[in-house]
Amino acid sequence: MTATISTTPVTPTRRRRRSARLSPLLVAFVLVPFAVESVWVFWPALQGFWFSLTRWDGMSPPTFVGVDNYVELAGDATFRGALLNTVIWLVLFGGLSVLGGFGMALVLQRERRGVGFYRAALFTPVVFSLVVTALVWRVFYQPDGVADTLLRAVGLEQLIRPWLADPQTALYAVILPALWRQIGYVMVLYLAGLKAIDPALHEAARMDGASSWQRLRHVTIPQLRGVNAVVLSVIVIDSLRSFDIVWSLTKGGPYHSSELLSTYMYSTAFQSLRLGYASAIAVVIFVLALAVILGYLVRAFREEA
Amino acid sequence: MSDFDPGRRRFLGHLGLAGLGALGASSFLSACASSASGPTTGNGSGAVTIQSNLSSPQAKAAMEKLIANFNAQGKGTASLNTIASETFRTQLPTYLTSANPPDLYTWYAGSVANDYASRNLLLDVSDVWKSLGDYPQSLRTLSTDASGKQVFVPMNNYWWGFFYRKSNFAKWGVQEPKTWTEFLALCETLKSKGIPPIGIGLGDTPWVASAWFDYLNIRINGAPFHRELLAGKQRFDDPKVKAVFTRWREALPYFDPKGKAYPFQEATTALLAGKTGMFLIGTFFADAAPKDALGDLDFFRFPIIDPAVPVAEEAPTDGFFASAKTANPTGTKALLGYLSSVEAQEAYVKASSGIVLPANPRAKAADSPLVAKGKAMLDDAKELTQFFNRDSSDALQPTADTALTKFMDKPDQIDAILREWQTSAEKVFKG
Repeated sequence: MTATISTTPVTPTRRRRRSARLSPLLVAFVLVPFAVESVWVFWPALQGFWFSLTRWDGMSPPTFVGVDNYVELAGDATFRGALLNTVIWLVLFGGLSVLGGFGMALVLQRERRGVGFYRAALFTPVVFSLVVTALVWRVFYQPDGVADTLLRAVGLEQLIRPWLADPQTALYAVILPALWRQIGYVMVLYLAGLKAIDPALHEAARMDGASSWQRLRHVTIPQLRGVNAVVLSVIVIDSLRSFDIVWSLTKGGPYHSSELLSTYMYSTAFQSLRLGYASAIAVVIFVLALAVILGYLVRAFREEA
Repeated sequence: MSDFDPGRRRFLGHLGLAGLGALGASSFLSACASSASGPTTGNGSGAVTIQSNLSSPQAKAAMEKLIANFNAQGKGTASLNTIASETFRTQLPTYLTSANPPDLYTWYAGSVANDYASRNLLLDVSDVWKSLGDYPQSLRTLSTDASGKQVFVPMNNYWWGFFYRKSNFAKWGVQEPKTWTEFLALCETLKSKGIPPIGIGLGDTPWVASAWFDYLNIRINGAPFHRELLAGKQRFDDPKVKAVFTRWREALPYFDPKGKAYPFQEATTALLAGKTGMFLIGTFFADAAPKDALGDLDFFRFPIIDPAVPVAEEAPTDGFFASAKTANPTGTKALLGYLSSVEAQEAYVKASSGIVLPANPRAKAADSPLVAKGKAMLDDAKELTQFFNRDSSDALQPTADTALTKFMDKPDQIDAILREWQTSAEKVFKG
């Protein structure tokens, strides 16, 4: 009883003193980046919304056209193709990099001799610039390149085609290098998540006679929920902004067959010089990213509550 | 760590000082430039800045030499900024619309220059043209904007044609074709010998296909129709345009099937290695050719299809235009005057490796049979065109890339392709 009486007055003073000591630095750390971001990020983003309601060639002043750009988008076959390709990209690139990254993390989680080498080998592609990655894969795909030589060696020469120039294969030929890179990244995220799981949980499950599959299903996966949220956000954002690898390998071609929303936005803005229309595409990309991520977060929070 | 920190701080300090220095220098320079622009002292005392997209090593060296020569003459001073051509292309509108723009720019004659001129962004260089009386009328017309004043000063032009190796044609026992029928027969002969007759490189450079469209259109429908089409005054789904593709389809079986997967540079390698028979390309492709192969190269003009149509050739013209907001119009015009002189053009041709023809008719071109043949072909032509994007706009080029590569893949869908092309072209013209 005496103890509670003596402690009550102490806590508020300590709290007050701590906040008073931290505030100037903390405020600076928040406000300075915020000011910089406002000028370089938030303001241009808001301007983007405004430009999406205009017709603008980048030189003359923009003219206000209302929702014309969005009406045109609704009837634009190339845009629909790019949207479909972006969905394919999200499912294939996103899905396979989660599966591949998680699988690799499971295989490489236990400390064994030489496991560091394999982890490093899988992570190496992340380090390379995507433009360099594209150069390497272009050599791989070129006529009579490594891919064709491999197919010939195993007697599948009837499959040989101009991988990046064939509209049937261009999109998938571009997804592969992107995956090759992303899997290492996702693997590292999952490795960190797996390390954070309390070994006692696995111990207990093993004592109860759970098989390794049951432990994976009922212990490991539920424990990774926090990592999943991070991985999902990263994947969705990376899919929607995937641009460099596609641009450096195919530029969205041949004839828009590997076009993503991001490459279509870029070529509309800087090749066709239709900046208003390109801004409308940018707004669509933004809304899509926001919808997917908010949708997931809302669900995740509801489950936790 | 403690060793590292002060070092880093010192480094940052230097960086900051250097930054201040740069700022100081640039404001000093702009002060010079603006003082030169003062109403009383507009006599060209400030340095003229020239933005150049000629970034290949030989062309860059050639430009540096010209600027050094100009500075040595004492009629003014100029400084050269060489910028990667893709950056240059996207930055050009920003340069021209900025408050304190560079003075002079390398660029192409054609619709992009005219477009800037119509927005009053280009300097009237009619004064310079007064001393260019011996330049051909075709170049004067090309450099004149819609209001009748000259806005462009040509430096040189080059030509497009079917290039081949003389030794290979001799080995295969074939001759240059003159007409479309002879051309198709030549293709058939090469194909029967197991050589893909027509090389092309669409992988990274799909615009190369536009040369085929340009040439077929000017051979079948004539240059005036071609220009109107590219200016949006004719329709791409017109039956006259479809006729172009009907002809093109006759040649489609003879294209190198690998050509759609690699860029024109690799198509050049394939031609030089004898893996393709011939290649419709501009002379710039020879920049990448080894010196010993240059002597073995020859070309023939795009075959005649309809003898009634006046012969036109693609002769893209490169040169300069200046910003209307230049702080030093006198100095800029003095530099333009020098760049259009016989001396400067001969120095450029000598220093650059490309096979180009000087714009000044009194300047001597490089002394080689290939260049003489190219010059004769252009002199002989009734009309000159530039190239698809120079006769239309960079914004229209992607619509051609899409339509033409699709046609080469799916010639059956030509009607749908032309309808799509018309739709996307309308969007570009509308803005």
